[in-house]
Amino acid sequence: MANVSEPVNPGKGHAEHGGDAHAHPSFLAHHFDTPAQQFNAAKLGMWVFIATEILMFGGLFCAYAIWRAVDPAIFDQAHHFLNKKMGASNTIVLLFSSLTAALAVRSAQVGKRKLTSIYLVITILCACAFLVIKYFEYSHKIHLGLLPGHCFGHPGFSGAIQNGEEVGTCLRVHADQAAGTPEWVRAIDEDGHVQLLPPRSNMYFGLYFMMTGLHGLHVLIGMSILGWVLVRNMKGQFSKEYFTAVDLGALYWHLVDLVWIYLFPLLYLVGKPE
Amino acid sequence: MEANLAHASGHDDDGAVHSHISSAQFYWGIFGALVFLTFVTVLVSYYDFGSANIVIAMVVATAKAGLVATFFMHLRHDKLFNTLAFLAAFLFLAIFILLTYDDIGRRGEVDNDYGGTIKAQTGQPAPGGEPATTATSDETAGEPPVEGAPEKKR
Repeated sequence: MANVSEPVNPGKGHAEHGGDAHAHPSFLAHHFDTPAQQFNAAKLGMWVFIATEILMFGGLFCAYAIWRAVDPAIFDQAHHFLNKKMGASNTIVLLFSSLTAALAVRSAQVGKRKLTSIYLVITILCACAFLVIKYFEYSHKIHLGLLPGHCFGHPGFSGAIQNGEEVGTCLRVHADQAAGTPEWVRAIDEDGHVQLLPPRSNMYFGLYFMMTGLHGLHVLIGMSILGWVLVRNMKGQFSKEYFTAVDLGALYWHLVDLVWIYLFPLLYLVGKPE
Repeated sequence: MEANLAHASGHDDDGAVHSHISSAQFYWGIFGALVFLTFVTVLVSYYDFGSANIVIAMVVATAKAGLVATFFMHLRHDKLFNTLAFLAAFLFLAIFILLTYDDIGRRGEVDNDYGGTIKAQTGQPAPGGEPATTATSDETAGEPPVEGAPEKKR
C-alpha cells in the first residue's frame, strides 16, 4: 500500500539492488512490503485454514455428540474394547512431538539450523511411533471383527455374519425371534471380559474408526509437511529472518495434537468403569 | 500484555519479523503440565462420578488444548485476530452441534406434516405421526416394543 507511488521494476525485485530504500531480501515476495507483513499474512492464512480443519472434524464430533446423547448405553459398553494404556501412550507421544515441534520453531527463531533439524526429526519419529501404536490397535480390533458392518450388520446384508456364526472372537448370538429376544454380538474386550454388544454398537466403532482414521490421515500429512520443512531447512533456506514454513508446519502439527487431545477422552475414557 | 502486543503487531520500523521467543525450559514446563493433565484425566476415568465424568474429561481436554494453542501455537504473543479466527471455528462448531441436537431431539414432535413418525430420543411414536415400525424399535431399543409403553434409555 505504502509503495503505490514507487516505480514498478518488473524482474528486479529479487535482484540485489542495494540502492533501494529498503532492499528486498530473496525470501520476500513482490507483493509484500516487509518481511513482517509477509509473515503475518502467512500466519493469518494458516489460522483460517486451521479453523476450516476444526470444522471438518466438527462433522464427526457433531455425530459423536448426537449419538452419545441419543444412545449412551453403547458408548458405556463398547469403549471397553479400546485399550486405555495404548491410548494414553499415544497421547504422551503426540504431546511430546508437539513439544519438539515448538522447540524446532524456537531453534529456527534463534537461527540454530542444526538444532531445528534435530527437533524436526524427533517430531517425525514420534509421528511414526504414534502410527505404529495405532497400527497395533487397529489390527487387534479388525482381528476381533469389530469393523462396522461385519459382525454388526443386518444378517440380510451380504458379508454380515449370520446368527450363530463366528468371526475372529466375535459371535453372533442366535436370536429367538419367536420369544422376541434381541440379537447380540458376543466378543471379548480388552480386560478379557465377555461382552454382549447390541448390533447397534457399530455406531460406536464406526465413529471410532472414522474419527481416528481421519486423524491418522492428518498425522500422515503432518509428517509429509514436516519432512518437507526438514529438507528445506537442511538446504539452508531458513534463517532467523525467515522461518515461516517451520512455524506454519509446526502449527499444522499442533492442530493434529489438538484434535487428539479431544479424541482420547471422548473415545477411550468414557465414564462408567466396570 | 502491552509489551507483547508491541512485539506482535509488526509496527517495528525495520519491517523485519520480531516474534516472541520463549525459552526452551518454558516449553518443557508446558509439556510437563500437559502430561500431568493427561494423568489426571486417565485417573478420573477409573472412578464413576456419574455424568460428571464427561464434564471433567472435557474440562481437562480444553485446558490441555488451551495450553497447546496459547503457548505451543504462540497465540499468547500473536496477533489477536488469529485468536479470533481460531475461536470463531469453535463458535460455529457449537452452533452446528446445538442446532443439530435440537433438530434430532424434536424432529418427530414438530414435523409430522413432513414425515416425522417417532421421537428420536425415546423411540416413541411422535404426536400426530404414523405408528413407528417395529423394525426401527427393535434396532434402537434392544427389546420388543410394547404398544404405547414409553421406553427409557437411561
